[in-house]
Amino acid sequence: MAGLLQGEVLLPEQLADLMGLEGPLGVAVGALLGAFIVGNIMLAMTGVAGPWAKRKITAAFTDRFAVNRIGPFGLFIIVADSVRLLGKELIIPSNADRPSYDLAPIVLPASALLGFAVIPMGDLGPLNIHLADPEAGLALVFAFASIASIALVMGGYASNNKYSLMGGLRAVAQNIAYEIPLIVTAMSVVIFAGSLQMSTIVAEQGATLVSLGGIDIPAWYAFVNPFAFVLFLVANMAEIGRNPFDIPEAPTEIVAGYQTEYSSVYFVLFYLGEFLHIFLGGAIMATIFLGGPAGPVLPGFVWFVIKIWAFFLFTQWARSALPRVRIDQLIEIGWKGMLVLSFANLVLTAIIVGVIA
Amino acid sequence: MSIELPETAGVTEQSPEELEALLDELVIGRDDHLNAPGYVIKPDTVVESLRRLRDDAGFDHLSCVTAQEYDDRYESIYHLKKFDDPTQEVSIVVPADKENPVSQSANAVFRTADWHEREAYDLVGIEYDEHPNLKRILLPDTWQGHPLGQSYDQDQPQVVPLREHKNPLLEDQRAASESETMYLNIGPHHPATHGVLHVKAVLDGEQVVDLEPDIGYLHRCEEQMCQNSTYRYQIMPYPDRWDYISAGLLNEWAYARVAEDMADIEVPEYAQVIRTMGAELCRMAAHFLALGTFALDIYGDFTAIFMYSIRDRERVQNILEDLTGQRLMFNYFRLGGVVWDLPEPREEFIENARDYLEELPTALEEYHDMMTANEILQLRTVDTGVLPPEVAKSYGATGPVARGSGIDYDLRRDDPYGYYDKLDWDVVVEDGCDNYSRLLVRMREVEQSAKIVEQCLDLLEDWPEDERTIQANVPRTIKPKDDTEIYRAVEGAKGELGIYIRADGTEKPARFKIRSPCFSNLQTLPEMSNGEYVPDAIASLGSLDIVLGEVDR
Amino acid sequence: MIGLLKGMATTMKHALDGKKFTVEYPETAPEVSPRFRGVHKFSQERCIWCRQCENVCPNDTIQIVMDDQRNGEQYNLHIGQCIYCRLCEEVCPVDAILLTQNFEFTADTKDEFIYNKEQLKNVPWYKGIDPLNSRNPDRGAWIGEGDGSVDYQ
Repeated sequence: MAGLLQGEVLLPEQLADLMGLEGPLGVAVGALLGAFIVGNIMLAMTGVAGPWAKRKITAAFTDRFAVNRIGPFGLFIIVADSVRLLGKELIIPSNADRPSYDLAPIVLPASALLGFAVIPMGDLGPLNIHLADPEAGLALVFAFASIASIALVMGGYASNNKYSLMGGLRAVAQNIAYEIPLIVTAMSVVIFAGSLQMSTIVAEQGATLVSLGGIDIPAWYAFVNPFAFVLFLVANMAEIGRNPFDIPEAPTEIVAGYQTEYSSVYFVLFYLGEFLHIFLGGAIMATIFLGGPAGPVLPGFVWFVIKIWAFFLFTQWARSALPRVRIDQLIEIGWKGMLVLSFANLVLTAIIVGVIA
Repeated sequence: MSIELPETAGVTEQSPEELEALLDELVIGRDDHLNAPGYVIKPDTVVESLRRLRDDAGFDHLSCVTAQEYDDRYESIYHLKKFDDPTQEVSIVVPADKENPVSQSANAVFRTADWHEREAYDLVGIEYDEHPNLKRILLPDTWQGHPLGQSYDQDQPQVVPLREHKNPLLEDQRAASESETMYLNIGPHHPATHGVLHVKAVLDGEQVVDLEPDIGYLHRCEEQMCQNSTYRYQIMPYPDRWDYISAGLLNEWAYARVAEDMADIEVPEYAQVIRTMGAELCRMAAHFLALGTFALDIYGDFTAIFMYSIRDRERVQNILEDLTGQRLMFNYFRLGGVVWDLPEPREEFIENARDYLEELPTALEEYHDMMTANEILQLRTVDTGVLPPEVAKSYGATGPVARGSGIDYDLRRDDPYGYYDKLDWDVVVEDGCDNYSRLLVRMREVEQSAKIVEQCLDLLEDWPEDERTIQANVPRTIKPKDDTEIYRAVEGAKGELGIYIRADGTEKPARFKIRSPCFSNLQTLPEMSNGEYVPDAIASLGSLDIVLGEVDR
Repeated sequence: MIGLLKGMATTMKHALDGKKFTVEYPETAPEVSPRFRGVHKFSQERCIWCRQCENVCPNDTIQIVMDDQRNGEQYNLHIGQCIYCRLCEEVCPVDAILLTQNFEFTADTKDEFIYNKEQLKNVPWYKGIDPLNSRNPDRGAWIGEGDGSVDYQ
């Protein structure tokens, strides 16, 4: 697990070194360049996921053919779809609350992109893809992710549409109900790792849990505490609003929820934001439960990408088979079930760690 | 090898004279129909007569209300039946004044009269006293004239002044600030309304306070089109287009039955077996789509279940295409039989159908795995959209909706036609009264239909070669006697699909009235969803399995 | 919880077996039943201008124009208005009008769907299938036994 220890050189500094810049200027340029690279990788991934992978996966679950006409494996549909979506008319409803209506589609993807800043994504060749490693990294990433609900309320409220309003309100109710169990569950990981710093959490998972016939099973927290992993998985699905918790959008009930009135570029931004949030959710899962970029043979970054795509696949799998719960049931599960379980998990973890250590 | 007939011992049967004695002073004449005795009563004694018939004689099912205009009078006909024994029928004929057609509303006795009388007012122009909400239902509020009335001028332009037609949203519709509720238009273009249905909903937060379906967007004058077509050939293609979700043969049978009873045509037994098989295949296809769309309403996106059910429906449609030559608009029945024998080579067709039926249990197992066994689905559907049996009866709900509320009512068994009474199958009834029960009823009915089709295939295979008559000898023009009236119903995919015909001695009907099961079933929606959450109201709508083509006709 | 897992297992099974139910349409032309009713084909050589098809048509899709000697001049059929009930084929005593299995037709405007007798004659057979044979059994009621194959050109 070399290269992931504390004090490791981060991507901005590496870039500054490569360009031969020093001092504050070097840090600024390196940071901007690094952010540009990471942001674009993530956006490219959502670009592949939204118009192409999602359709392919859904089609596989439903015994259909899907996008296979344009380009190899139909991949050029991504280009066609971008042209189509961006070429559409941008319709803004009358009486829309303009600044907030315009800001919402920018806030949503931005909040998700910010979250990636503190995620350690492993090394790719000489580069260590990790933008920042503050001491409160885990707290920061949750803080960034929750900005998304503000965007949803803004969009929902500003659209001057009742369906949008209901979608926005649902989004808030859901996010509050699930954020707390989500973070409390994450706290149990912090107890194990003894730090909020992302690189420490990843490094702690590098230890060997058990050795089975010569194969070392790493001490990923998903193996150490599977209960917390499942709890976190469910809360995460609700947090990013995927089935069975996709009620803020709920197409058959409230049309498309907060994004009902959005079209063209704004719609694309909302759409991107949602996929970025799925990937951010996957990235958090990978980092705190699945050993971050750890894995044999392949470079760390590749493993990291595989892990977040696995999470994306899981959301699509759940989408194919799980019905949506009702809003009151969702709140009930959140406050009465998940919250209690997550606190129980936290207390148990604390006791176990306290006794063993 | 034959279905058990229902317990009719407990249901007393009254002779026409007894009924006349029961109605006593209210009766002012007789106007018997081919299917039932008809009693003429005064327009202000409707409630009293219907109440007596319901409470003292057990006629608890107001199947249909037909309105029509004669040269000298208007007339409303209330077709009454018993849920326990639908072969007992009686018609209450209410003439109304030509100049001032006013008649008492039956709404106080049967809730279903609400919509039926609104339709009568809308299309024919009879006004109903004491009706809670007498306004147009199929046509827009601004429509001038009553299209099925005699004095209606078809060429008159429908001029609507701007002040009546202006956009109602231009004014600020926001309620006063103290208001606790929100008004929401669900539809006519909404992902979950299964067509162009508009539901006016009043919400308190996420809960439905009041809900009112607004129909008529798909009104295509089907009744009038049938009135302008000849009995022998031209009407038959149209029933396919009422319930257009693959239930075509079931609808065709409704017309075939009423016209054959009217013109006294005997259908060869072989043709009856083919009809039974085709109709049940249609029922399977229709129920598959109902399952798929219900799953869509609960699950959200185009999920796997929807595609799997479409896949199974597709295979039924392939069989139906081989048989009838079309996938939706079959036009396969003819008066006196069917148009084609089984396709050649016959063995191949039978083999094909059997293959499908063999694989069906595996497919159904899959649905059970994905739907009925799913805890979240149970959480969503059990005890939501509750429709108690008394309410269902009062609204005239039939088909899977009634059977999901524990009402043991199936015309295939209770008022046998075709070959059903000689086959071995069961009527599916569930007592849950909720969305889950209606889902279960449909799933189990698919199994029963498969059972019927299987028996029909056996019969068809072994039928003697020289007795394969597919059509009776029917004259090329049919002219029933003047003033013959008949109301007949069959069990369509959604419930009791009835047709009333009045002949006037020509080869076209003088009045052709369709009793659509969806029309009555949809009326129960407010009962089921008031007080529930929005998602449950949507699920209830899905569980009703309406087809707007049949609601609006 | 078991039910949820069962459902997820079912969809995963479908995803992994790789079977597809849909077909890639233009490349894989669907098999249609010989009884399928598509666009009409008309043979002026066979037509005796009895106008039965015009009379039986439920929604006035067929328009026949004749001169004063009752010789046929025009035979127009609006294939966009037609409901494909096949009553015209059924009443025709000489098999002059027949519904092919051809279901693929497009046009820019509705007017282009009004086919005259030449266009109707040139409607191609779907996959070269002449559906007349498979439709013979019911024709006895109308015209007695047919005699041999029919040439539509």
